[in-house]
Amino acid sequence: MDRSDVRSGRARLDLLDPLEVSKLGGLELITEGVVEGFLSGLHRSPRRGFSVEFAEHRMYQPGDELRYVDWKILGRNDRLYVKQFEEETNLRAMIVFDTSRSMAWTGSPSTVLPKLAYSQRLIAALALVLIRQRDATGLITFDDDVRSVMPPRARLSHWRQLLGTLAAVEGGQGTAAEPALKRVVRQLRRRGLVVFVSDLLLDQSLALKALRFLRHRGHQVLVLHIMDPAEVALGGPNEARFEDPESRTAVIIRPRDWAGAYRDTVRAVVSEWRLACRRHGIVYQRVTTDTPYGVVLRAALTPPSRSA
Amino acid sequence: MIGFLHPWVLAGLAAAAIPILLHLLARREPPTVMFPAVRYLVSTTREHQRRLKLQNWLLLFLRTMLIAILVMAAAGPTAPMSGVPGHVPSALVLIIDNSPSSGTMAGGSPILANLVTAARSVLARATPDDALWLVAADEIPRRGDAAGLGELLDDLAVSPRRLQLGRAISLAGEVLASEKRPGEIVVLTDLQATALSPAEPRAPLLIGRPTTPPPPNTGIGRIETGTQPWSSGRGRISVVLVGDSAGSVPVSARFGDRPPRQALGRVGGSVVLTLPGVPPGWWTLTTALDPDEFRHDDRRVGAVRVAPVARVRWDSTSRFLAAASEVLASNGRILPGREISLGRLAQGASVVQPPNDPAQLGALNRALAARGVRWSYGNLSTDLAFTDSGAVVGRQRVVRRYPLQSAGSGRTGVLATVSGAPWIVRDGSVILLGSRLDPAWTDLPTSAGFMPFMDMLLNRLARGEAALGQGTPGDPVPLPDLVTAVRQGEQEWRVEGGGMFQPPDAGVFYLLAGRDTVGAISVNPDPRESRLTRASDAQARQLWNGARLESLRDVADDAFSSASRGDLRGPLLWLALIAGLAEMGLASGWRRRV
Repeated sequence: MDRSDVRSGRARLDLLDPLEVSKLGGLELITEGVVEGFLSGLHRSPRRGFSVEFAEHRMYQPGDELRYVDWKILGRNDRLYVKQFEEETNLRAMIVFDTSRSMAWTGSPSTVLPKLAYSQRLIAALALVLIRQRDATGLITFDDDVRSVMPPRARLSHWRQLLGTLAAVEGGQGTAAEPALKRVVRQLRRRGLVVFVSDLLLDQSLALKALRFLRHRGHQVLVLHIMDPAEVALGGPNEARFEDPESRTAVIIRPRDWAGAYRDTVRAVVSEWRLACRRHGIVYQRVTTDTPYGVVLRAALTPPSRSA
Repeated sequence: MIGFLHPWVLAGLAAAAIPILLHLLARREPPTVMFPAVRYLVSTTREHQRRLKLQNWLLLFLRTMLIAILVMAAAGPTAPMSGVPGHVPSALVLIIDNSPSSGTMAGGSPILANLVTAARSVLARATPDDALWLVAADEIPRRGDAAGLGELLDDLAVSPRRLQLGRAISLAGEVLASEKRPGEIVVLTDLQATALSPAEPRAPLLIGRPTTPPPPNTGIGRIETGTQPWSSGRGRISVVLVGDSAGSVPVSARFGDRPPRQALGRVGGSVVLTLPGVPPGWWTLTTALDPDEFRHDDRRVGAVRVAPVARVRWDSTSRFLAAASEVLASNGRILPGREISLGRLAQGASVVQPPNDPAQLGALNRALAARGVRWSYGNLSTDLAFTDSGAVVGRQRVVRRYPLQSAGSGRTGVLATVSGAPWIVRDGSVILLGSRLDPAWTDLPTSAGFMPFMDMLLNRLARGEAALGQGTPGDPVPLPDLVTAVRQGEQEWRVEGGGMFQPPDAGVFYLLAGRDTVGAISVNPDPRESRLTRASDAQARQLWNGARLESLRDVADDAFSSASRGDLRGPLLWLALIAGLAEMGLASGWRRRV
């Protein structure tokens, strides 16, 4: 597989191993490849949002309903355009991206992308899908404080700016999600979609409180819990001092002895998050960094009733 | 107490510290791994921390114990244990009671054969590292290996000597005292009740004895030949029967090869037999019973002196001497004559008593010296003293006496003593009495033994003869001073007068002074051997603290049991296996739970 395959859309990058995909090119290229692959696999548009009030035309994409094809333009220019209406552009999405130091970690650098790099590509792809749907998409990055804010826009050029912001992201300090989530309220004055991308190694109660608030404001909230496979299944040397890169908290254990109990703890944590989110109508999705992007996008963009 | 075959291996116990050392080494800072989800680990370990700590200590204990057990097993631990086949090198004294009673026939064979069989079984359990001794009735501890002692057993016969079990056990204890190896005494005996004597075993004591009751037995316990010498006329003997049989048995007696006389007798009674007259001389009297299961006591011998009675001239001024002489004369035991002068020093044989008047003592001493007598009277002693009991005179009170002083270098010729000092001495044909035979000097004249004493004094001692002695085989018998040889049949032993003689077997042993026969020792089995009744186990345990009693058949199984030290390697290895499994189960089970 090479770049021409990516550009031509022959390669289904959305279904490939994220690390392999990351080796194929820059953020923009592989994101487009992922999205192309993802969209080509869909039978219909993931978002409806079409209204009677015409707004603009856009190129036909596989999956668009034929009833919105502008037959006049097809007749004049022999090109397929679909009509987009005002309602579609009314969906405003805000991606809240945890860039704390813990996100920059990977348990196996040779086989698995760091959570941050994986999230960068995932967010880029997600944003491109949304923008292609004419959904205005913004981005907030945070670690122990809000680091950058990009208001939601629906233009493709905005996506490229978003890519630039994502590419500049590095592992920060600690994690404090509450301020970032509160900033969302200012950015999304109307009801919209909030995508919270984080490893959730933060104060759960504060984060849930903020997420609940967003949900209370009428936003759809999607939580993407990014986990490294090494965080799911404990491994390591015979005995090691495990240190939290953010808080510097450390514990000395024998991984072999504790693997089972740790696995149970992780299950319990994930279950706790899932239950807490479901209780408040928040969509929760656990994502390990070895999961192909297409799988995550499909799960993330499926209507909440299905993903639950 | 636990012992070890290879104690040096115990140095490996230091290896038991390995788990602790590993634990301490493991406490060093392990490598640091950056791990964002530490909060999950903290949460995980918090729940299990207490159990983990207990688990770790338990695992540490199990691992330490496992190493310690393996090291101890490698050191070859042993512990006192009965009924196990092996034993550590040990010292064992095997006492086999081949006393006369072991010759009793039981089941067609002598008891000794059963004892020897049991002894062989005991020796079969010995190892080359064991120190072994064999003690028989001769009470000589013989050391050897199992094969060597087995050969001794081949030659072991019924001994005429009686074995005092208590004394043999004490002897065995002394033998073992110098041994560092664990000791044990095994006694194989018919457990005859009369052979038991107290002892304090210094080592574990195992007794093997027959379980079947002994047969009833009748034996000749004693021959009483009356006062000697016999005159040429007929004589009467009394045969005392001993044993535990109830029936009457025929008793026969005869001199030499002469035809025997017979009579019926019972155990506990005596049979009086009148024997025909024989010419003067020394005669061997043989008494016998019909054979029974215990042959050893069916025959008993004695010596009889046949001679004319002494012709005595006695001092009529000495009241008690005169009275005794008249009684003896009236009973035909002496005749008036000039062969022996009683009371005063005269030309021939004389029995001299000290003068009543001390002023005459010097003249008497000079007369003795002139006669060539090497003894003289010393100064009068009025200290209360007693005669030393002996063949001549029993224990009598003496209140006045003249110490008898020897002019020679030795003390030959002493016939009786008072507190160890000569009281009656003989030199040649002269006998000196240290005290006058008067109640003012000694109680002898008024005692029951006075007349037999006077008879012996006149008929035997004054004639140069010695008292007749009794003995048992193997037991030393004191010899009179002048004896130079002991003879039995054709066999003769050169001896030193005044010394001891150990008769090897039963029989009459004649004492010779030069060419003259001056006395005899009648050696017969100890009459206590005739009582075959066995002691009970309780009696044995009472006398010998801690003794274990087994049948002859089973005694070998218990031999070396005190030194029988069970090999603890097997149990320890099992324990190690259990500890190992426990460790594995604990560790893996815990991991599963975690």
